[in-house]
Amino acid sequence: MKKSLFWLLLGMLFFWGISAQAARIVVLYPAASSVLRALGVSEKEVVGATRHDSTWPRAVKVGSHLRPNFELIRALRPDLVIVGSRRAFPDQAVRRLGVPVFRYDPRTLSGLLEEILALGRVLHKEDQARDLVSELRERLRRLKPIYPPVTVIYEVSAFPLRVAGSRSIVSDLLRVAGGRNLIRIPKKHVLISPEEVLALSPEVYIYQVGPMNRNPLPPKKRPYFRGLRSRVLRVRELRFARPGLNIFEAAERLNAYFYTLRYHPEALTAPGDSLQ
Amino acid sequence: MRRHLFLFGLFFLLVFFLSLSHGAVPVDLFHPDELSRRILLEVRLPRVLLAALSGASLSLAGLYFQYVMQNPLADSFTTGASASAALGAVLALLFFGETWVLPSALFLAFLGLVAVLRIASLRGRLLPVTMLLAGIVVNTFASASISLLKFLAQESVASLVFWLMGGFQNATYLRCAGLAAILFGACFYGLYRAPALDLTAFDDETARASGVPLYRLRRELLFLGALLTAVTVSFSGIIGFVGLIVPHLLRLAGFLRAEMLLPLSLLFGASFLVLADLLSRVLLSQGQELPVGVLTSALGGLFFLYLLVKRRRELYELV
Repeated sequence: MKKSLFWLLLGMLFFWGISAQAARIVVLYPAASSVLRALGVSEKEVVGATRHDSTWPRAVKVGSHLRPNFELIRALRPDLVIVGSRRAFPDQAVRRLGVPVFRYDPRTLSGLLEEILALGRVLHKEDQARDLVSELRERLRRLKPIYPPVTVIYEVSAFPLRVAGSRSIVSDLLRVAGGRNLIRIPKKHVLISPEEVLALSPEVYIYQVGPMNRNPLPPKKRPYFRGLRSRVLRVRELRFARPGLNIFEAAERLNAYFYTLRYHPEALTAPGDSLQ
Repeated sequence: MRRHLFLFGLFFLLVFFLSLSHGAVPVDLFHPDELSRRILLEVRLPRVLLAALSGASLSLAGLYFQYVMQNPLADSFTTGASASAALGAVLALLFFGETWVLPSALFLAFLGLVAVLRIASLRGRLLPVTMLLAGIVVNTFASASISLLKFLAQESVASLVFWLMGGFQNATYLRCAGLAAILFGACFYGLYRAPALDLTAFDDETARASGVPLYRLRRELLFLGALLTAVTVSFSGIIGFVGLIVPHLLRLAGFLRAEMLLPLSLLFGASFLVLADLLSRVLLSQGQELPVGVLTSALGGLFFLYLLVKRRRELYELV
């Protein structure tokens, strides 16, 4: 009897430990916050977040995603820390932190769905994760096919000119939405010659506006792009280039835009387009 | 003299032509199609021109700073002009947008210059060593401020870092014309003052006894050097080493008189930066670019080191 009671207590402690694992979360990668919200993580559970992340107003600000404050994070006694890529948060930093870490670094939309399922497992919210993934897959299935894909170049920053390479999640976003990134260089961002952009002559030249591209001149007003024949589309960086749930809405809006461009170009009358 | 000018001029023309004919996209200079013509006239030509003018400006600025401070280490970095102009440009990029880069860079470059002048002026004289030290302080302070801005604007940091590494993508004919006008004025002043510049190579007393208004001359040279640096930095970011190595290489080659050093610095500086820009455009495949500042520092540094080791005794130690 005593022995069974001991094992019962031990088992209860074990399960309590696992469920407590995700009770105090620190989010060091703001793009993951929308996923956590959708999985039903409450504000009480997120005890720390970066200073640019407004999803969790009650959380302690623990620095930025590139320079988090380890003392503050440790003082919060987190059960789980969500970090970004190895470049932003290297393995060495993970070891120094000494708490369980979930690496959130999707490079494709299907990779993002996998990350949601994995997060669901870690947070014991498998059902919510499955439902969310099914809903997102359904939204992707509803995208209209476009043939041939619209050729695109996506500007990350104008000054100097950097564009999304094939390892950027943006490249996959364009593919899913019915476009094709003309930059095939296997990098996230590529410092590129304006001559190459003119020579590739994409159907659509997308430029993002946001922290990485503050106050850019519209491309056709720049001296080196006077000869650009492409349609120009302005998008918001935080909605189109961050690997959170926002990217599925971005895919839908881009798909609608590409569809109009391919099959009803007469409907696009403005000289420059914008998806906010 | 004419022979050397002709040879340097010929070298510059060769490099200029090479730079026009090569790039991310193959262009037939003699039978260009519509796209090639557009690339050539709207992208490549203004870029090569700006690279040439920037190289000439930075070399001339370096030469003037070396005359003022009587120190071979003086250039737009050690005088703080480069870093304070860059601080102005970074502030404009972060808070106001690209159009404010030039005025902001000019304003902060001259603020840095005033600080250096105030610190180094004593009873109507400019103290060269104090000036150099003050320049290093201004440089350190401006660099620290840039680092702070990069830290505060972490999400924009990549763009700032790449911009600071230098490049000529944003070249326009208007910018070229503006820089050419300033360069012309600065060069004309130097040629007019060439005998006085030569006399400053001696000690202050000798120069003064020969009738050189040293304080005024140094202030004017500092002003022109800072003006050239600030405009160049605001157009093309920080491009290191050009102002330091070009005048030195020419001195190492035996050109010591100002009337020779000035035009040759212009031609050699222009050729060097046009060549560096060409390499930055063609070294990587598929239209990728390298920041030109990285190349100038790497190439210039290595070549300079080689010459310094080979000829240090005769030039700086035993003369």
